[in-house]
Amino acid sequence: MSDMLRAPAEVKYAEELDWLESVDDGPKPFSWRLSPKMVRLFILGSERADGLDREISQKWFGDRSFVERAIVTLASDRGLLLIGDPGTGKSWLAELLAAAISRNSTLVVQGTAGTTEDHIKYSWNVSMVIAKGQSRASMIPSPIMTAMEGGVIGRFEELTRSTSDVQDALISILSEKYVSIPELDDDNIVFAKPGFSIIATANSRDRGVNDLSSALKRRFNFVRIPVVTNRKSEAEIVRFRTEELLRRHNIELEVPPTLLDVLLQSFADLRAAAAGAGSDDERLESALSTAEQIGVLEDAILHSNFFGARELTAETLASSLVGSLARRSPEDLAILNKYWHGVVEPRSKEQSGEWTGFLEGGRQAIATLS
Amino acid sequence: MTRPFDALREQLLGAAESLAGGPAALPEILAGIVDDVDHALREPLEIFPVCHHSPASALAMLRRLREKQPTVIYLELCEDLQPLLTELRNCRLPVALQAFASQLDGFPKESAPLSVIAPITEASAEYQAIAYALETPGVELVLVDRSTDHVFQWQPDVSSPAGTPEPEEDLHGDAVGVEIGDLRPRFAELEEHLLHHGRVRHWSEWWEQYVEQPLAGADHETYRQVMVLIGSLFRRLAPHDTRRYAGDEDRERYMWTRIREHLATSGADPADCLYICGAFHAASRVPEAGSAPGTPDFAITPRTGTTWLYGLIPSSHSAIEAQFGLAPGSVSIAAANWRKQLGRLRLTPFRLDGQKGGGRKKTLPAPAAASGPVTDHLSGYLAGPPALDGLDEEELRGWCVDIVRLARRNGYLASTADAIAVFETSILLAGMRGRVRPTPYDFQDAAVTCIEKDSVPGRRDVRRLCEILLGGDRIGQVGYDALPPLARDVYDRLGPLGLNLEQRSIQRALLDLAARPELAACSQLLWMLRYLLPDQAVRPIMGSRRLGEKHIQESWDLDLGRNQRAVIELGYEGVTVEQVLEQRLRRDAWDPKATAATALKAVENSLLFLESPRLTDELGARAIELLAAERTVDDAPDVLRRIRRLLAHYRATTPVLPAWCERFVTEGYAHYCTLLPTAFVEEETGVRQVGAMLGFLFGMESLALSLGCDRTQLEIAVRQSHPESPAKIALLWAARHQLGALPLADLRVRVDELLGNPLVVPAFPQYVSGFVQALEPVPRLAPFVVETLSKAFGRLPDPVLLPWLPNLITTLRQQAAELVPVLTREAGRTFPGGLAALDAWTPPWKAPPRRRPSAGPAGPADPVAVLLRANRMVPDAVVALFGCEGDWTPVETGLPAGSGGDGVAVAGLLTAYPRAAEAVADLVCP
Repeated sequence: MSDMLRAPAEVKYAEELDWLESVDDGPKPFSWRLSPKMVRLFILGSERADGLDREISQKWFGDRSFVERAIVTLASDRGLLLIGDPGTGKSWLAELLAAAISRNSTLVVQGTAGTTEDHIKYSWNVSMVIAKGQSRASMIPSPIMTAMEGGVIGRFEELTRSTSDVQDALISILSEKYVSIPELDDDNIVFAKPGFSIIATANSRDRGVNDLSSALKRRFNFVRIPVVTNRKSEAEIVRFRTEELLRRHNIELEVPPTLLDVLLQSFADLRAAAAGAGSDDERLESALSTAEQIGVLEDAILHSNFFGARELTAETLASSLVGSLARRSPEDLAILNKYWHGVVEPRSKEQSGEWTGFLEGGRQAIATLS
Repeated sequence: MTRPFDALREQLLGAAESLAGGPAALPEILAGIVDDVDHALREPLEIFPVCHHSPASALAMLRRLREKQPTVIYLELCEDLQPLLTELRNCRLPVALQAFASQLDGFPKESAPLSVIAPITEASAEYQAIAYALETPGVELVLVDRSTDHVFQWQPDVSSPAGTPEPEEDLHGDAVGVEIGDLRPRFAELEEHLLHHGRVRHWSEWWEQYVEQPLAGADHETYRQVMVLIGSLFRRLAPHDTRRYAGDEDRERYMWTRIREHLATSGADPADCLYICGAFHAASRVPEAGSAPGTPDFAITPRTGTTWLYGLIPSSHSAIEAQFGLAPGSVSIAAANWRKQLGRLRLTPFRLDGQKGGGRKKTLPAPAAASGPVTDHLSGYLAGPPALDGLDEEELRGWCVDIVRLARRNGYLASTADAIAVFETSILLAGMRGRVRPTPYDFQDAAVTCIEKDSVPGRRDVRRLCEILLGGDRIGQVGYDALPPLARDVYDRLGPLGLNLEQRSIQRALLDLAARPELAACSQLLWMLRYLLPDQAVRPIMGSRRLGEKHIQESWDLDLGRNQRAVIELGYEGVTVEQVLEQRLRRDAWDPKATAATALKAVENSLLFLESPRLTDELGARAIELLAAERTVDDAPDVLRRIRRLLAHYRATTPVLPAWCERFVTEGYAHYCTLLPTAFVEEETGVRQVGAMLGFLFGMESLALSLGCDRTQLEIAVRQSHPESPAKIALLWAARHQLGALPLADLRVRVDELLGNPLVVPAFPQYVSGFVQALEPVPRLAPFVVETLSKAFGRLPDPVLLPWLPNLITTLRQQAAELVPVLTREAGRTFPGGLAALDAWTPPWKAPPRRRPSAGPAGPADPVAVLLRANRMVPDAVVALFGCEGDWTPVETGLPAGSGGDGVAVAGLLTAYPRAAEAVADLVCP
């Protein structure tokens, strides 16, 4: 077992990446470790037709063209901005891209309201400055600057959460591809090496908080990642992430496929209800994304493992679902109550099976929270 | 004997063996497709396989026609559409051939109207064949596919498509589409597999890359063999137990039967003929296929008795894409490719006279000699990778520059830097997808990546702009001569407006009817079209048409260019707009679900749009019939509103009311009198409906009585009514008040009692609701309604008053036209006009009763008073009749009754004029 709680993609899939690199004979742009076709293969998995000796698992689920567009953007002159609803796998895709292209996905700046220009460019080790004065040694480069120096991919998470003036510090980095350090007299410019690019992510629900300036927009190619609505792909994603979770926690527990169906169906129902709702009060606060589903299942698994009979039951799943989705009282609880009585109850009568336990568990959870 | 494809068959069977783990049917399928090709090529009548919207098919067709110059062409298209083909000369393509039936015989009535369309585009093989056949003397074109009637016979459950398409995609309406050469994998997994491995997203993209491009420059034999091969492959992989497959086989039997019939009757040599059909059908192995005499025939079922009408309607690339489930932009891209290939190969396509580029006839070169024996062209095609075009930098650069220009025009902040980025990204994307030359779809992806940001600034996004750039949606137009008589008549009659109505944009028509009275006819026609056509086709901006109104100016937004289909489809219903309108009005009135209100609406429309008293009378008679048959009064408010309006119109315009109107009033009076007691009691009947019934009875009373109705009928009806709900009780009180059976003072006492009784107070608002509804039938109750409302607001506790308020407001809002003016006028009269006057204001109902100026005891009483006092019985009876109360004022009389000069004078007067006294006597004691 790794001693890291969560290993970055390049560590987790190091063996796969090594192997791909060894068989890759395609043209590689700049200092890329893999050719664009291999990057796509690493992310979307291999097929028999690819003629590889071993199977490469699929790691990101979504339209192939999104991945292709993202990869060619990174091979071009522009930065890549992945935009979409929360829980659509933007950051995961960014991490996989950085891992495949430059074997380093950890050069990350997290955008918040408190992010300053220093976090994007550089800052100073104050005690060293006092002791030795300003020099390259006393300078602390930001992850982005490190990426520039190494000719690798830098990441900026939640770009739109940082303020506009901070965002604009990226403009010169993306167009001139260097950062000047006016505090130093010589060696005062850090040039980006070939292969440097930025993958930023932005949450489309945050639009309007700190809108990107037109100048910055122009320097990014936008790839919009939609919410997964395809039932098959969603089941695949949930299964993939859950297996990963079980492995990480060393839990030996089986997720019955029928229970997974119940989870997917209930999310699909709640999404349909949210789409038809007239006002925010009639809609759950949750975005009901795939990530949320994974969260619900994760909760249920952990609960069953540590507090239950080491077996995932429909009751536990239902109480986990209610617990995760009921954020506002009474609005969310009222919606869930309506759902349980109007949809789950008739369905349990019709189909019985897991739905019966799901009905019971949900009822109890709602009663406890009300 | 060796066959040309033996080697290929061996090779494929060898491949099937090496894939031993594959499905058991593999050898059969692989050998079968080669056999199919062999079989199709052996047919003496040359089969020309085509695929829809395929420039390669069109090019191959063009070259083959020039080379072979057949004398008879058999075409896979509904045989009954044949007479329409010559009309294509008057149209701008794409247009669709349409067969339309609204009078069904043999099909379920509820599926009417039935409509079939077959779109024709310029870049299609079938258009090349049609143009060649129609423009070359001595060439016969025979359509051989099943008739449109059979389309529905074989496909009984035609459901209309769900969802509302975009306006430009809706050109075909909900017609069933038929098309030549629909070639697409018949099961989803195969298509998915091909798309996945071809690294493409749409079927059209796959087709272009693997079939279209390699075949664009191919010779005839290669083209033909490859197309039959693909048709055969899809045919063998299609699920055979579906209705669709069985229908396809039946069509093949049908077509071959028709071909043999024609060959037999015309005596044409099969070697001089060409049979054009979809590649799927070219690989047919049904026993009925083949031109050889003696081949078994297919028993063709007779057509139903349905009358089919035929015409042309405009079509568009996007409408075709939407109808046949093609990728957006694919037909436009095919058209652009067709033009490009024509230029590259220096070919002149066949065009019909009257079309752009048509008429310039070049003499065709002498036909080429018949080709030699069939040789295998398939092995070469299958063995090599698709021969794709190299990178056409010039073309890509042009696209990049144009898309940026287009994006800028649509609000995007795109610049030259974007053009460069799109160029670079297109090449990179194509490289990733394993091709040198970016396809239009790669270019589209690149443009979206580089230009599309977080929001779309205008109406169109980058994807749509790319579609426009790569060909643009082309919208066809049906020329004047090809239009049905009604549509031509419409264009002729709107001629005086001086607008180009064929233009596909909104035209503003200004009609100054005072200065140019001749435009009144145009206005009349526009109002009729407004009634008949969809909402957006003709739209009045200024002006309205209601009974009793006459405008001196009108302005209209006309969008007939884009709604040409709707006008053409009107033409299937009749020869003139008036005729269609009359039919529609009759249809509305005689509909099984029609009510008296709908019939009255039809009457009103007939008055507005058609000056036809005969029709109006018929519709009026129908309204009476419907009213008498009605057992509910749900429509009573509507009936009341409409008949009032119609009566007002007739009173203002004609010396006497039409007979139907009089009958409607008398019938209505009797009808509503009969239903009144039930309506008062029934819970389902709303208070508004009962109010409207009373409105009819009281409002039309004088007319009804003058026409011979009896008031006692109404009185009895009211007496029989015993409502239980408070609102209806209040309404009944109002009715009784109107009839004189309940004086205002009593009404006031009842209301005060209700307000004073704490047990009834919660129900009081409902009584008020009833009184509000009474405003319409009993307008003189308005002061009392204002008084009751004021009392309700003043005395009701908030928990009772507040929940009722929204109810009151919505009622007033819904019936604003009838209730609000009466109520506000009365309120204005009752309440003080200014704030200052409010303090000193006392409600009239609280004011002490005004003392009548009495004669007073002072002075001697006048002789009349003395007379009346002496004969008290008469005045008392009159007073009682009028429902008044009063006492006799004591009078001091100077003289004993009957004595004195004045008394004598009065007596003399009455004796001299006895008629007044006798009349009073008759009134009092009849």
